Formats: sequence, structure tokens, C-alpha cells
Amino acid sequence: MGRLFVVNLEGKVYSCKHCKINLALVDDIVSKSFQSRHGKAYLFSKVVNVSAGEKEDRMMMTGLHTVVDIFCIGCGSIVGWKYEFAHEKGQKYKEGKSVLERFKVSGPDGSHYWVSHETHVGGSDADV
Amino acid sequence: MGGVGDDEPASKRMKLSSEELRHLSNGSTLKEPIVRSTRDLMARPLQSEGGEEVFGPKGIIKKVEFVRIIAKALFSLGYVKSGAHLEEESGIALHSSLVNVFMKQILEGDWEGSVVTLNNIGLTDEMTIKSACFLILEQKYFEFLDEEKVTDALKTLRTEISPLCINDSRVRELSLFIVSPSRCFSVQSPKQDTSRARSRTKLLEELQKLLPPTVMVPERRLEHLVEQALVLQRDACMFHNSLYKEISLYADHQCARDQIPSYALQILQVHTDEIWSLQFSHNGKYLASSSNDCSTIIWEVDANGVSLKHKLSGHQKPLSSVSWSPNDHQLLTCGVEEVVRRWDVSSGECLHVYKKAGLGMVSCGWSPDGNWIFSGVNDKSISMWELDGKELECWKGQRTLKISDLEITSDGKHIISICRETAILLLDREAKVERFIEEDQTITSFSLSRDNRFLLVNLLNQEIHLWSIEGDLKLVSKYRGHKRTRLIIKSCFGGLKEAFIASGSEDSLVYIWHRGTGELIEALPGHSGAVNCVSWSPANPHMLASASDDRTIRIWGLNKPSTKKKDTHSNGIHHCNGST
Repeated sequence: MGRLFVVNLEGKVYSCKHCKINLALVDDIVSKSFQSRHGKAYLFSKVVNVSAGEKEDRMMMTGLHTVVDIFCIGCGSIVGWKYEFAHEKGQKYKEGKSVLERFKVSGPDGSHYWVSHETHVGGSDADV
Repeated sequence: MGGVGDDEPASKRMKLSSEELRHLSNGSTLKEPIVRSTRDLMARPLQSEGGEEVFGPKGIIKKVEFVRIIAKALFSLGYVKSGAHLEEESGIALHSSLVNVFMKQILEGDWEGSVVTLNNIGLTDEMTIKSACFLILEQKYFEFLDEEKVTDALKTLRTEISPLCINDSRVRELSLFIVSPSRCFSVQSPKQDTSRARSRTKLLEELQKLLPPTVMVPERRLEHLVEQALVLQRDACMFHNSLYKEISLYADHQCARDQIPSYALQILQVHTDEIWSLQFSHNGKYLASSSNDCSTIIWEVDANGVSLKHKLSGHQKPLSSVSWSPNDHQLLTCGVEEVVRRWDVSSGECLHVYKKAGLGMVSCGWSPDGNWIFSGVNDKSISMWELDGKELECWKGQRTLKISDLEITSDGKHIISICRETAILLLDREAKVERFIEEDQTITSFSLSRDNRFLLVNLLNQEIHLWSIEGDLKLVSKYRGHKRTRLIIKSCFGGLKEAFIASGSEDSLVYIWHRGTGELIEALPGHSGAVNCVSWSPANPHMLASASDDRTIRIWGLNKPSTKKKDTHSNGIHHCNGST
């Protein structure tokens, strides 16, 4: 697959669960109150080593947003999404930021997150 | 309908729209050479407001100036009669009669007369008059010295040159010539070792440069204008890639695309895994390719094409980069976070392994005198080694990243590497000065131009930026079009005078841009995987090589009729699979 261009982060890092490539720093967490279909999700100001899919307009819990799905460049698994454009004024703060699903990443201590039995029916997104 | 009649010569007849014809129906006729643009017919009379006649389709050339520089060119070509005839027929003199007198006086050595004429010519700038007088009197002074008339020379210096009160340092220099005559050798050209004075023709040339062009038309002015136009045409020519294409004056220069390598002449299929790095030697006689299969191959380039010379095995890790020694006799290869190996090109033997305990090398490069090698290390430092393995120096700190390239300028002074996500370090290792190219996007790779004046920087957002690194660091151009989302894709300079930029791409195409205009001129299909690296032969502007995840190297060239070879396939592409 070519020589991957991998950014190495320093500090407490969240990595891809499957291939261990660094994805984001704990310090860059903006909010822990997000959720996805797999449970908890965190909003980060900066995420690295991901490639983006096609732009899509999605109706999320807080309204209509234009998002792109983001994929780990190492293994290609989907790890979350990035906000390109928020249609509602109150949600503008999300633009340019990315959400990583807690289920898809290993924490800084190597810990994993297991989807709880009470599955969320509501869908993805949340406010701070 | 008014306007142009049929008895006008065809060149003067012009198609006017019916609207224009209506405007002309006041009875005016067209007698002057017709301005080709129909818009201009109404917009401007053929004589500009300044009362000066203009010439040419755009009406921006002043006729008097045009005739004078033509006359000047005729005289320069030696066509004195033609030049004089032109002056007579046009009624436009190249030089006013006073200027002619002045020129005659200079060439005859009538210094007093020339100074008087100079003051009468009608120059307005005091400084110009004084400077011109200074030059004339300086000549007079030197000619006296040549004739051994020392008292006369001294008198000139004291009573004529000094009172001008300009260029005092030169006056002091001149006085030294009387004191120690042997000093003249340092000032005049070696050829004139007996005469201190330069020729009077040279003096005239110097004066011509000093005086305003309205008084004396500068030498070679017409030639300069024509050359300027030709150079502009050549620089704007997006496909200009051959040295021997003469530029004709008869038509605007524009090469056809056929000078850009765009045909796959050979496919080299020997590596057993993705190829990540590729580089022609400085003399273009060899090509080195390094791969994920942990080997490096040295290919030989000759008139028959590219063939396998050596397969270099020894690394235990995939290869990240290669670097040719300045004389192309040796090659450095670097394994990803492993060791650097030095190889002999003709024998294929490994001459040395450079390693650091507990650390891994990430890049390699040669000093321009071939006596030292540099390597980036995965603790972010850069090391410098003697060839026998003794480490001479180590620049610690945030100097290089694990994925960074490493370049050393050909004066040996600057080390270049990516030191932070968005910055490239240019380290002057002697002056211990650091400069940084700062981008607002993550930098993935870079490439140095052969003349060391430019750096091509690949960014995460699929842009390639061209930076000027001589003097102030300045962003010069941007190139876009190729695809990069996950990999390290490398690009390079190439072609005649490095007028082109080539790059690999994740969509398996090879991209070529014209460097000056930024225009994308080719996107070459052929590879069946991401193209990781490209290298353009420094010796042959028509040969480009590309390396891909599909494990092959493609050699691109011009569309030439295929030469007769035993193993050439019918489609004209020469496949080389390493068998001998």
C-alpha cells in the first residue's frame, strides 16, 4: 500500500484499535459528551493519520451537518467523522473538528471500550 | 457605404462591420497604415496626443525611436551606407549633429573640444555632465601617462579633474598612478600591460551608457529588445525541453508537446515488492531503486535503454531512501529505522554499515566532497560520519522527523530536513544559523533543485509548493492535480534547465507540470498502483523514471520508432525482468 505517511504524536495518545497508528492527543479533546452508533465518542480539535470520505449532509441529534467519514490510513477502518459545515449557528463551533468513536480507538493507557448492552437508538452527535 | 474602396491594396483593406462603416460615412478616408483592431479605429487617432507619431498594430511604438534604433543596428552591423540612407530617407537622424561632433572629438582625442560640446548638448542633469567630464578627463590623464608626459598628467589631475569634486576616492587612486606606475596592472586588463589608457572606442561606450538614451541611443538596443521578446517566448513555452530548438524570428516560439517524455519505453520488473524510492545518478548513467522488499537495484542507463547492473541485498528492513555519491561511484541506502549502508557501484559490494546503538537511521546524504556522510536518526538528531564509520558530529534536538528526507547543498554548508510537522529546517552547519520554511499544512516530503536555489515541498493537502531558498525564503509557486491521502509521494525537478516538475500520485498516474506557469501538462497512465516516486534524468531531459506499488519502474521517453532488439515485444515496450 505504499510507504504510509504517518504523523507521530507525543504525549497521551489515542490510537487505532486495529493497527495502533496514532490518531489524536488527549490534550486535543474538546468534548467527551458525543455519541455514535457504537456508544461514546469524543470531539477532538485535531486528528491525524486519517483519510476522508465523500462529503455528506447528515441529520444529527443537533441538526443538519455536512460531514465526511474518516478512516484510519493504516488499516482503512472507519474511526469517526469530521464536521465540514454546520447548518445551525449554534453548532458552528464543531466545524473543522473531528469525532472519534471510543469503540474504535485504544486509549492512552491501551484501554478499550466495549459497547454497552443498552444500545443507543437515537443516533450520533451531541452538544457540549 | 463609405470606407475602403476596392482599389486599395489588399493589405490595407479591412473588413469593417456595418456599424463602423456608418461612423465613417462622414467622408473621411483611410490613408495611414490601418490599425488591425477595429476597436482602435474609433478609439484613437493614429497620432498620439504628445504629437509623436506611432508605428505598429498596437500603436505603442514611437516612430522616431524605432527608426533611430534601426539605424543604430544598421551601423552596428557595418552597413554604414544603409544606415546613412535611412537617416536621409526618413529625415530622422540617429544622432544630432552636435552629438556626431562629440563622438568625433572623443575618437580623435580632442578633449577640450569634447568637454565644450558636452556642455552644449543640452543635458539637464548636472551630475551626468560632471561624470561624463570625469571620464573624458580620466582618459586624457591616462593617455598623458602612457606618453610619459607626467607633468601634463599631473596638471590635468590637479586643475581639471579635482575641481569637479566628484568621486574623490577615484581621484586618490589616480594620483597613485603617478607615484607608483606599476600599480596599473591591478586596474587594467592583463592584455593592456603597456598602455594604461583604454581604447577611445571603449571610452565612447562608457559615455554612451552615462548619457540619456535620447541624446545617444544605447548600443545594441534593437538586439536587446528582440532577444528580450525571444526569451519571454521561450520561457512561456510550456513544452520547451530541447536544447537545439532554435528560436526563429519568423513566428512566435511554441514547442509541440512532443519534447516531453510521455511514452513508456521500458517497464522494469525485478523488485518483489513496492518500490518507494528512485534516483538517477548525477551523470544520468545509473538509476537506483529501493523497495519494500529490502533490496536496492542499481540499473545501468545507456543507448540501448535501462538494464539491471546490481541487486544490493543486506538490509533487513524496507528501504526508505538512496543517495548517490557526488562522483556516482558509491551509493548510500537507508533502511527504515535501521542502518545506513555504503555500496560500491561498479562491484555491488557493501563497503560499510553505519549504525547507532539503540537507535535507527531514517535518512542519508553525502557531503559534496564525498568525504562525509550524513544521516537522520529516529531520535530526531542528525549525525555526520567519516566514511570509515567514525561519527564526527551530531546535531541533537528537534532536527529531523522519522519520515523526513535529508539533503545537503552542494557547497556542503546547509543541511535540509523536515524538523516539525509544518516546518523544514535549513541548517547552516558552519555559521550555526537555522532558517525555517513554515507551512500551514503538514509537510510529507521535499526535493532540492540541482542549483540548490529552490525546494519543492509536498504537503498533506495534495499541494506541491515551490520555495526559493536563496536569500529570503519565499513561496514561489503551487502545483496541484495529483492525489495524496495516505502515502509519502515524492516529486522532483527535471527537464531542460529543470523547467518541469514531476510527481508521483496515489491514482497511479505520473504528473508533469510546467514549472514557470504552474500548468499541468501531462498525467501519464500506465502504472497499476500508486506511483511513489519519480526521478528525471539530469543528463537526458527526455528521460523520466517512475516507481510504483505495482513493483515496476517505468522509463518514460519521447515517441521514437522502436529500435530493433531481440527481446522487444510487439507493442514497442521493452520489458526487463532481470534475466540475462
